[in-house]
Amino acid sequence: MQISFKEWTRKGNPWIWLNAAAVSVSLIAVLGLMLLIMARGLVHFWPHSLIQADYVLEGKEPVPVIGEVAQHEDIPTEQLKAAGYPVKADEDFMTRILLKTGNRDVLGSDFRWVLEGSLKNVRYPETLITLERREWGNYYGYQVAYKNNGTVVANAQESGDKTWELLIAGIARADALNAQIEEIEKGEIGKVNYELERLRLTEKRLQLEGKATDSALAELEAERQLLHKDYERLQAQLGELYTEIGRDTVVMRAMNGQETEISVSKIVRAFQPNKMGLIEKIGHYGMKLGEFVGDDPREANTEGGVFPAIYGTVLMVLIMSIMVTPLGVIAAVYLREYANQGALTQTIRIAVNNLAGVPAIVYGVFGLGFFVYFLGGNIDRLFYPEALPSPTFGTGGLMWASITLAILTLPVVIVATEEGLARIPRSIREGSLALGATKAETLWRVVLPMASPAMMTGMILAIARAAGEVAPLMLVGVVKLAPSLPLDGNYPFLHLDQKFMHLGFHIYDVGFQSPNVEAARPLVYATSLLLVLVIALLNPGRSGDS
Amino acid sequence: MSSTSRTHAVDISAIERSTEDLDLSSETIALKVNQLKLFYGQKEALHGIDMNIPKKRVTAFIGPSGCGKSTLLRCFNRMNDLVDGCRIEGQILLDDANIYAKGTDVADLRRRVGMVFQKPNPFPKSIYENVAYGLRIQGINKKRILDETVEWALRSAALWDEVKDRLNESALGMSGGQQQRLVIARTVAVKPEVLLLDEPASALDPLSTLKIEELIHELKNDFTIVIVTHNMQQAARVSDYTAFMYMGDLIEFGTTNQLFTNPGSKQTEDYITGRYG
Repeated sequence: MQISFKEWTRKGNPWIWLNAAAVSVSLIAVLGLMLLIMARGLVHFWPHSLIQADYVLEGKEPVPVIGEVAQHEDIPTEQLKAAGYPVKADEDFMTRILLKTGNRDVLGSDFRWVLEGSLKNVRYPETLITLERREWGNYYGYQVAYKNNGTVVANAQESGDKTWELLIAGIARADALNAQIEEIEKGEIGKVNYELERLRLTEKRLQLEGKATDSALAELEAERQLLHKDYERLQAQLGELYTEIGRDTVVMRAMNGQETEISVSKIVRAFQPNKMGLIEKIGHYGMKLGEFVGDDPREANTEGGVFPAIYGTVLMVLIMSIMVTPLGVIAAVYLREYANQGALTQTIRIAVNNLAGVPAIVYGVFGLGFFVYFLGGNIDRLFYPEALPSPTFGTGGLMWASITLAILTLPVVIVATEEGLARIPRSIREGSLALGATKAETLWRVVLPMASPAMMTGMILAIARAAGEVAPLMLVGVVKLAPSLPLDGNYPFLHLDQKFMHLGFHIYDVGFQSPNVEAARPLVYATSLLLVLVIALLNPGRSGDS
Repeated sequence: MSSTSRTHAVDISAIERSTEDLDLSSETIALKVNQLKLFYGQKEALHGIDMNIPKKRVTAFIGPSGCGKSTLLRCFNRMNDLVDGCRIEGQILLDDANIYAKGTDVADLRRRVGMVFQKPNPFPKSIYENVAYGLRIQGINKKRILDETVEWALRSAALWDEVKDRLNESALGMSGGQQQRLVIARTVAVKPEVLLLDEPASALDPLSTLKIEELIHELKNDFTIVIVTHNMQQAARVSDYTAFMYMGDLIEFGTTNQLFTNPGSKQTEDYITGRYG
């Protein structure tokens, strides 16, 4: 049936199409974004096969190369020619490969571009080994020998697989020792240091207050002696562990034939990717994913996990919501329920709405100027004079970051709550009042419960905004690498004055500030994905908004 | 009171005002209104109302829209206090105490003078909690007392049999008529002395309306009831006394019988005949 254009528009069909198109575009944008960061981020943890080949460029000696294929790219032949590559121009485009060759200590860089056509004799030897190291990134190569206190105990040529098994066992042993070392260094020595610092501050405070009597000082000194004794004992233990852990070394040969001796204690894990079956690879993948979520970062954040950043983000957001939600709700209740609805209230309302539009960095500057320098400085002078000149609260920290973000998100909570309160029909309030309830009772028993979905919405928006904010945090307390978690076993457990790590800042740091941006790029995607997940998990029940 | 008995108008010009003739000497007076004036800002909405509302009787307020009958009703439990810029002169005496006197506990007044609104306004809680609400406000939380009172109130509102098996379900799932009876039960549960009904059946279907009217008949044994209605037949059916208001004035107040059969003023006559035919 023919429908005239006029009829078609009159029925509103174009609008329906337009609306559907808008929804589709939004959906595609969101899904595309998620898919991209998932694909780029999650593939990072998969054990890539190691390729070995001879790289033959015309007029040059063949060079053996070993590495992981990181990226394919088509490039115009002209451009290659101009760059001085000896290529024949029988095609317009040539494919080049970004090869992660690792071995930064041997070769100077992690990555290398090679022309696909010039790779000859490509093979995947099963004995090729990937070593993940604590320093210098990955090492790719062949195992030559395994040494014990400098003497060779197994030789790859003679004992074959046995050297490999020795290496695996050696890494497991080193891991166990490492865990002990960490326990002593971070746990026990950390505690001793914390106590020593506390004693130093106590002594200084006594001196400042003029109460530093000889007996008091002697008491402190006695305590200090005890701690020192503890410290020496722990130090001795550590020394033993360090000699133990340095016992084994492994000799490796890189693609250019150079042999390197690597201490087993510096190896996180070793695997032969070309030999692994699917199940093994999946297991390896799970392990790497677990490390990413649960471990501390290594090598200027470009390797290892992001656990402290997750921890810092979640803790900061929790403290922020504990502060912003009651404040915002109470303010909204006053504005909507008690304040005279005159010009002044309207002005305040407009001002609150506008606050939501102030750029985040401005809040950061405010937080730095007011909270950190002014409030924090005064708190230090009043309550922590013994620690001066090193600041306690007079520098960025968890508390100031949370408060700054609480102020940043306050308008969101106020506006959402106010809208929720305004939606509650007058008849319901009158019904309650007519039963002899006072205004306050009506608020508590009927109005606020009915408005709670709106408060939830406000809180969700606040959390989403706060968790994703980076700019103000850089001014008020986020750091690249925090030495310890802001919530630990040392009294008073929650250290509001400590600096912390944050996923958003971590992404910025790893992606743009690290020495090895190329190697860290997949980690940026993985961290982004994690940030999205954390925000999604922090939101208490999206279905509450009905 | 049947409407069919009045199919032709009486000779209006011969009728005198009969307000002064209303003899309430045989009744106890629940509410006494003395020269009540009400202003919305500068505008005077009630021009000095004088009337006595008899105890344990049903008194109906009728009149055209905007005549002030709802406003007057809302004066009895000081609901008008919630309106910005509303001011009151004169007195309303409940048990010889002026409810507009300084120091009156408004919450307590509203407990003694309950109100049911035009549209059913149950709280988004369970049926049980809706009825128990007023009691909980008074600090009564003993389960036995609450159970007893809720059952009694729901029975009084002729709702018990319909809801006794789903007391813990949301009140919002009930029909409009049930919701309105629930609201009545909720009001009755706090045992007020006076029950104000502001067009309680105007949003309901005929069957629910009938149930509400039967309920009013039952309730007047225990409560003084004041009802505002647009429906002349309803006023005739349910009330003992009727007041006709027009433009903020009380034009005529008399027994329902007399007001509908032999109205004292031409305005009353015009109004009831205009809506009768």
